[in-house]
Amino acid sequence: MELLSILTPLFFGLVAAGTVIGIIFGAIPGMTATMAVAVCLPLTYSLGLENGLALLLGLYVGGISGGLVPAILLNIPGTPSSITTTLDGYPMTQNGEGERALKIGITSSLVGGLISLAALYLFAPALADFAIKFSYIEKFLIIFFALTVMAALSNSLLVGIFSGFLGVFISLIGAYDISRGGNGELRLVPEFLEYYLEGGFSLLPVLIGLFGLSTILIDAEDGMKEGKGLSGVKIGGKPFKLSVFKGQIINLIRSSSIGTFVGILPGVGGSAASILAYSQEKNFSKNPEKFGKGAPAGVIASESANNGLTGGALVPLLSLGIPGDSTTAILIGAFTLQGVQVGPLFIGNNPITWDAMIIAMLAANIIMFLVMVLAIRHIAKVVTVPKNILFPIILMMCVVGAYTINYGVMFDVWTLLIFGLFGYLAHKIGLEIAPFIIGFILGPSAEIYFVKSLESFGTLSIFFTKSWIAALLWVLIVLSIAFSVSVARKKKRMADNMDA
Amino acid sequence: MTGLFKSIAAAAGFAAMVASPVLASAADLPSNIRLVIGSKSTGGDTYQNSAIVAEALAKKLDINVKVDAVGAGEAFKALQRDSRGTTIMIFHDQSYLANLYGVRGYDDIFENYVVGPTVAINPGNAYLVAKNSPLQSMEDVFAAAAAGQRVRVAIQAGGVSEIGFSAMKNAAKVMNPGSEANIVPVNTGSQADKNQLMFDGQADVINGSVQANEQFTQLAADDQKAMRFVWLTAREETIAQANPEGMGNTNRDELLAFTTPNVSVTFDGSSDFTFDKEFFLLFNKDMDAEQIATIDNALKEIYAEGEIQKTQKASFFIPNYKPQAEASAYLKAKRDQYRQVIDAIATN
Repeated sequence: MELLSILTPLFFGLVAAGTVIGIIFGAIPGMTATMAVAVCLPLTYSLGLENGLALLLGLYVGGISGGLVPAILLNIPGTPSSITTTLDGYPMTQNGEGERALKIGITSSLVGGLISLAALYLFAPALADFAIKFSYIEKFLIIFFALTVMAALSNSLLVGIFSGFLGVFISLIGAYDISRGGNGELRLVPEFLEYYLEGGFSLLPVLIGLFGLSTILIDAEDGMKEGKGLSGVKIGGKPFKLSVFKGQIINLIRSSSIGTFVGILPGVGGSAASILAYSQEKNFSKNPEKFGKGAPAGVIASESANNGLTGGALVPLLSLGIPGDSTTAILIGAFTLQGVQVGPLFIGNNPITWDAMIIAMLAANIIMFLVMVLAIRHIAKVVTVPKNILFPIILMMCVVGAYTINYGVMFDVWTLLIFGLFGYLAHKIGLEIAPFIIGFILGPSAEIYFVKSLESFGTLSIFFTKSWIAALLWVLIVLSIAFSVSVARKKKRMADNMDA
Repeated sequence: MTGLFKSIAAAAGFAAMVASPVLASAADLPSNIRLVIGSKSTGGDTYQNSAIVAEALAKKLDINVKVDAVGAGEAFKALQRDSRGTTIMIFHDQSYLANLYGVRGYDDIFENYVVGPTVAINPGNAYLVAKNSPLQSMEDVFAAAAAGQRVRVAIQAGGVSEIGFSAMKNAAKVMNPGSEANIVPVNTGSQADKNQLMFDGQADVINGSVQANEQFTQLAADDQKAMRFVWLTAREETIAQANPEGMGNTNRDELLAFTTPNVSVTFDGSSDFTFDKEFFLLFNKDMDAEQIATIDNALKEIYAEGEIQKTQKASFFIPNYKPQAEASAYLKAKRDQYRQVIDAIATN
């Protein structure tokens, strides 16, 4: 009865408003779900806990989902977890299938969100108990496993690996963060940049610089004829049919499960979810050569995984009091501001709040799907907007997003420009951006877990002997590397045959 | 032409308005104040306490106060840049402890900023062991160290988390010289990492808090996650001011069992070490003294009205308003006391 009294029109209105605002935040390059939740967090004071959570969970689901729009239409990931969506989503847009790709992405997002929600509702405490089996060692191996994806995503194996390690190297610039267990000392920073680079390069400006600004520079090189849309983008390709999901059920379930699983591991990072899901789908696919050229399976894997994350990341938050990703790290503030403890007893002590959260998540996923499906036809037209109008708008949004991501740090705008130029030059000299950004995102976690593992156990052999989970992860790592080498050899043979 | 001049004048007026903060009154505070905090977390005690103070200040002064969780490094930079009063800061003892521990990026706050009024204490700074650990109390910890057993303590280096660890080492040195070498730090980061080290059996004692860890102390001993408080660093009289219901399922009397004198971590052999985590404001060194006084007086009135205390206590904070001058002198003396502890173990 008490639950019914919470489920008012206001409650659902807040879920809907949050979802729509979240989609808008996610769709704007440089704005993220995390930012949307942070901006609206103080509202929870006046709204009360359940209504406040309704708004914030709507923002969370909407923000994660909205990231697919610029990823597919403009090749700019709206959020870090949409990076792999660009790999096949944008080629589909170039083939005139932008609307189809968006519908595939949205449907996959819905499935991913619902699967993770079911896992959250049914198994939260058990999943949390499983999550604590992952020590520094296992977390390092998961990151290492995700890093092996760099090779699978590369056109050229060696260049891809080099680009990935360059990303790792650049991610280590700055202080060895004391709040993560480091010693606080600066690494790789010239003296005159110490003031700016203490915290290293921020991820979002790097991301939108590499994908957004560099895309604009590359496209602008073709000329900016007034009234002409994006280069190489066709209109009116294959329409969307549900039959595209035929043969993709395993992909959907596996990718959603990977997203949920990565979400329950605090400190691994949401981006790893879609990266792992994408690479697994590519590894299991009968046609891996189609990936990166507009394969719907790639969009399905990436989007079901990143929405799978939403329920997963709430598992450690509500069962251990530990946020699973950067957005739930802000979300925990809603509980703190209301003086509600989150920890192993939260679900048992607060059944009404728990049920209200599940209903809010369910409603947010459904509203996200309906709103985006209805808006797609109009959203997809963005690719027909002339470049001379579209590019300045994107650039302005990128700059605003970069400036606001850390509450107004001008160096983040410089970071955006530096990495935009770097992305443009990388394109010219043949460096690969996808492995670079994956290395950049995963580098700091890989470092900290590696160093902490050695500090705790004092021997390298522990990486092989710690647990059955570690052994299983090594098997996956070896298979992933073997697969990448095999695909690269096949590619080389085909190229040699064609030359002959 | 006149129209053009009018447009230019209007544009210039608008630009000036945008460029400079709108003042609530001539020599008074800006109407928009950014309250930066030394934490990046919106789920922690610094944000929670700052949000309470910001809301009260905004109401009292009829201005907008926005809390930005930018973290210590960015917060100090923002404060240094702005002497107009549009940016102020709330932080806690970490601000001077990190300087004592030599953490890069932490200047002497008493030299570089105006240390403002204190607003609250978080009495929850705690040390815990696994529920099924052979070490069930601080006495067991010191006895183990004296017997030559290595006791690993998970902390975040260079601040509030480390000062209790330093006190443990100091106490071990006072009680059994040489045994302090057996109390060793396991440097880590977040509370999640500290908990995980305990779950993995890689730490014997972890630093935590009543707020974050109390629910873990309610679990059955056979649960891998179950913990037990062994020491709360707060003073007895600080915890005694908390609401009788305490936090979660642990009431105030039960919490008092973990503070001095029930748990002794000696400072010098005759008195016990205590540490209250106190929150206070920091201002730019060149900020107008009248503006600082306005904020200080507003807080004085807010605390005199008595409403904020109820909100703070409901969130397990102990209200602790001290006017700016008194707070500055008090915190400086507190800093000097903790310097002794750190110096004592540094001379090992």
